[in-house]
Amino acid sequence: MKKGWDIPHPFFGGEEVRKILPYILLIPTFLVIILFIYWPAVYSFKLSLYRIAPFGNRMIFVGFKNFAKLFHNPEYINSISVTVIYVVSSMLITLFLSFFIAILLNMKLPGNAVYRTLIFAPYAISPAIAGTLWTFLLNPVVGHVNYFFSKFFGIQVEWLTTKPFALYALIFATVWKTLPFNIIFYLAGLQNIPDELLESSMIDGANAWTRTWKIIFPLLSPITFYLVIMNIISFMFASFAIIDVMTKGGPGDYTTTMIYRLFLDAFAFQRTGSAAAQSVIMFIIMAIVTIVYFKFGERRVHYQ
Amino acid sequence: MRKLLIVILLVSTIFAFAKVKIQFWHAMGGWRIELLQKMAEEFMKQNPDIEVEVQYTGSYRDTLNKLIAAVKAGTPPHVVQIYEIGTQVMIDGDIAIPIEDLIKKDPTFDIGKFLPQVLNYYRVNGKLYSMPFNSSNPILYYNKTLFKKAGLDPEKPPRTFEELIEYCRKLTIKDEKGNIVQAGITWPLHSWFFEQFVALQNAPLVDNDNGRSGRPTKAVFNHEAARRFFRLWYTLSKEGIMINTKKEDWTGARQLFISQKVAMLISSTSDVKLMMDAAKENGFELGTAFLPKPKEAEQGGVVIGGGSLWIIKGHPKDEIEAAWKFVKWMAEPEQQIEWHLGTGYFPVRKDAVEELLYKGYYAEYPHHLTALLQLLFSVQTPNTRGAIIGAFPKVRDIIETAIERMINGEMTPEKALEWAEKEATKAIQEYNELYE
Amino acid sequence: MRKSRKKLITMLVAEAILIVFTIIVTLPLFLAITISLQKPETVFSYPPKLFPRSFHWQNYVEAFRLVPLARLMLNSLVIASSITLGKLFTGTLAGYAFANFRFKGKEVSFALLFATLFLPAETVMILPLFLIMKKFNWINTYWALIIPFTASATNTFLMRQHFLTIPRELEDAAKIDGASPMTYFRKILLPLSRSMLAGASIINFVYAWNMYLWPLIVTMEDRMKTVQIGVKMLIDAESANNWGVIMAGTVVALAPTLIVFLLLQNLFVKSLVRSGMKG
Repeated sequence: MKKGWDIPHPFFGGEEVRKILPYILLIPTFLVIILFIYWPAVYSFKLSLYRIAPFGNRMIFVGFKNFAKLFHNPEYINSISVTVIYVVSSMLITLFLSFFIAILLNMKLPGNAVYRTLIFAPYAISPAIAGTLWTFLLNPVVGHVNYFFSKFFGIQVEWLTTKPFALYALIFATVWKTLPFNIIFYLAGLQNIPDELLESSMIDGANAWTRTWKIIFPLLSPITFYLVIMNIISFMFASFAIIDVMTKGGPGDYTTTMIYRLFLDAFAFQRTGSAAAQSVIMFIIMAIVTIVYFKFGERRVHYQ
Repeated sequence: MRKLLIVILLVSTIFAFAKVKIQFWHAMGGWRIELLQKMAEEFMKQNPDIEVEVQYTGSYRDTLNKLIAAVKAGTPPHVVQIYEIGTQVMIDGDIAIPIEDLIKKDPTFDIGKFLPQVLNYYRVNGKLYSMPFNSSNPILYYNKTLFKKAGLDPEKPPRTFEELIEYCRKLTIKDEKGNIVQAGITWPLHSWFFEQFVALQNAPLVDNDNGRSGRPTKAVFNHEAARRFFRLWYTLSKEGIMINTKKEDWTGARQLFISQKVAMLISSTSDVKLMMDAAKENGFELGTAFLPKPKEAEQGGVVIGGGSLWIIKGHPKDEIEAAWKFVKWMAEPEQQIEWHLGTGYFPVRKDAVEELLYKGYYAEYPHHLTALLQLLFSVQTPNTRGAIIGAFPKVRDIIETAIERMINGEMTPEKALEWAEKEATKAIQEYNELYE
Repeated sequence: MRKSRKKLITMLVAEAILIVFTIIVTLPLFLAITISLQKPETVFSYPPKLFPRSFHWQNYVEAFRLVPLARLMLNSLVIASSITLGKLFTGTLAGYAFANFRFKGKEVSFALLFATLFLPAETVMILPLFLIMKKFNWINTYWALIIPFTASATNTFLMRQHFLTIPRELEDAAKIDGASPMTYFRKILLPLSRSMLAGASIINFVYAWNMYLWPLIVTMEDRMKTVQIGVKMLIDAESANNWGVIMAGTVVALAPTLIVFLLLQNLFVKSLVRSGMKG
């Protein structure tokens, strides 16, 4: 591993400066983080121990009651299971699909530049607008998707208002939004793999897929390692916007994830104390998940 | 010449400094932003010493949250538009100057000119806290052309639940595979409609006279009136003669009616102009009617929906006076008429209605007359005045979730209603804990 | 002969899949453009259209008239660019520290930094952040819209990964030449990271461009608002007949991010190559 700069440079002030340079480099980042992220976070975490009136004119200390209430609340337990299903499904689909598409894009077929550029579109569209557009497309009676489905399959699905389709639609939109991010990283990774290896694994008949799987995917494992945790974080924390537009957590709390529950309690119902408690819980869960992930995940990563 | 210029400059500078600035936050998007800006400019012309800064602050929900942040930071606006179900929260927050107090000090203001139904909503414990501004009701819109096609009399809209079900059966067209080509009716999956149909039957939502004679302590809507509505919804959905939208999807419902995928729509009176234009452009004849109700139900009425204007504390006296002037002005007949014409919310005053009547307006716009009459025919009881609940947003969400579960077959109408009442009571009790 | 025929089939299938995939992925974008060019009364007609038949440009004119879109886009541009530059600045410096130096507390500070990703930033924390803005007197200013977002764990992490893959020989050579760490950083490391910086720029710009809730809460005048608020302003929640105008505004709001991507994407793909993110 790298050792760092340990030869004092006569020009620069010597050993002492060298020793504190890394700290100086971290100052801008930590200054912003401490002022604008840590402090609000601590403030919010503190609120989790209180019951607070919407305008803040009543504050009652309740200790861990907010937390206890959450775990006795079937709605909250439900949101945990929805979150697990949602995150894991979106994760698996996005990962494998993006890998697959990246391989196809890497074949540099005609029109490649066009595909690559257009595929970026979902990432650029804001979640609220993306949700709105998909809602149009998925309208049960006048939407394009059902028009296509009814013409070709003769079925008419109520995408956003029935189980299990609401969850499918949500996962679909989520995958759609996250694919470009993953594809770009995989694509870049594939550039480093020699072409012969790629070609031979692709065209040898029935085993093409298994071969791609056993050889290429492991070579890209560091990227996978990065993408999985970044995707999980995104699905856990950023999904409330698209849920609010597409399904509003319905039907009957079917698509209400933990972050959506938090969002509602914070902004729609003004249950600030409970929302703060929920954010503490999510923080702890993510911390545990990340620690476990780094400890055990890194073992399966093949560095060159 | 120069002296004159200097004098003019001085005077205008003094005027500029003498201007009182007030901030007005609202949640009306689209063309209404323009309309409100225009109205504010007209106000400023008539009151050159006051400057009104009009700001669109997002949806009703966004606006409330922005208000909370501003209040906590000590920089609240002067006038803000809050949705009707935020009334109790605003009162409990103790951050607004009750309009009643300002009226008491202002002899020029005649509260009697206002429609009693509207005042009755916004008066809590006999006190008017906010100035009614944009009020609406639900009505039944229907497609006369599709009625004719289905063999129904276009001049006879359904008046009872039973008739409604029958009409929907006749109006629904399905293809060979059972997919819906046209359905009978739709309305946004919104608790507002539940509240309306309960009030129509003169039944309450919560105790203590619907929260009007004291803080509500529990939900009481698991009664036969509510069950009738839930059963209606359930039947229509099960038979596939109604199309359901997702939660609070006004746009989806409107879309279905405009594209003639459904023959009837229950929506807000503020949609009248939109529906009239849409009918013309899409080649069908529009009809409007009162909301149907169960044959055996008691006569009740519709509840006011929409928002009102609140004046926030924490400003110097002259700014408050300016804010009061502005709020008063916005409630005057000319402005109410302009607002009504531009949006479809009905004018909250009797003299405005009178003026419109004499102008022949209701002859030209019979649909607005339908809405007005439905309101005027409403019996005034605590049940039709609207419920006052601190945890209203949460209660609404509970009711909507219950409806979704019922439609999806997870719960029977009876069970869903029972569950909703239990959960709503929990939410109400939780809210009340803060004020014990 | 067999091999090349198999190859041809594989390529044809792959091409077909890519075409279908691209179409599905870009459906919403086409829909937005189509609706933006339709007359209001035809938006909800059946059967639904995916390609514009008419070119009702008035929608765009109307969008710009209803909402000061140009001014809002300028605001968003200033804010998103500043945030991007800020994040690149803090991220490269911090990434450098984590990648090239040994120091006490390195692991802990990295963990603390990474932990910021576990916070729901756009929700519970908005209120305290607003209070801080009040203290600094930054409400309704560009400062409030920019400064709190000028550092992030993602950027630091990304730059750290990249710097870790720069061969040590370059560093040693610089040392021997008598360069200071900052000179090495400026003259060698950064130029080699040009493409990674481009990639980070795309991510940062899109994130900043799409912010809605914070700008809504912290701005107090229409002229300070951002383009996402502008699009929301077009939506009159209580009527539904101007989707053409709303989509016109949406398309306009969308354009800059797509343009930024177009300009930078080639650099990005090549860069990850050198970063050897693959391993």
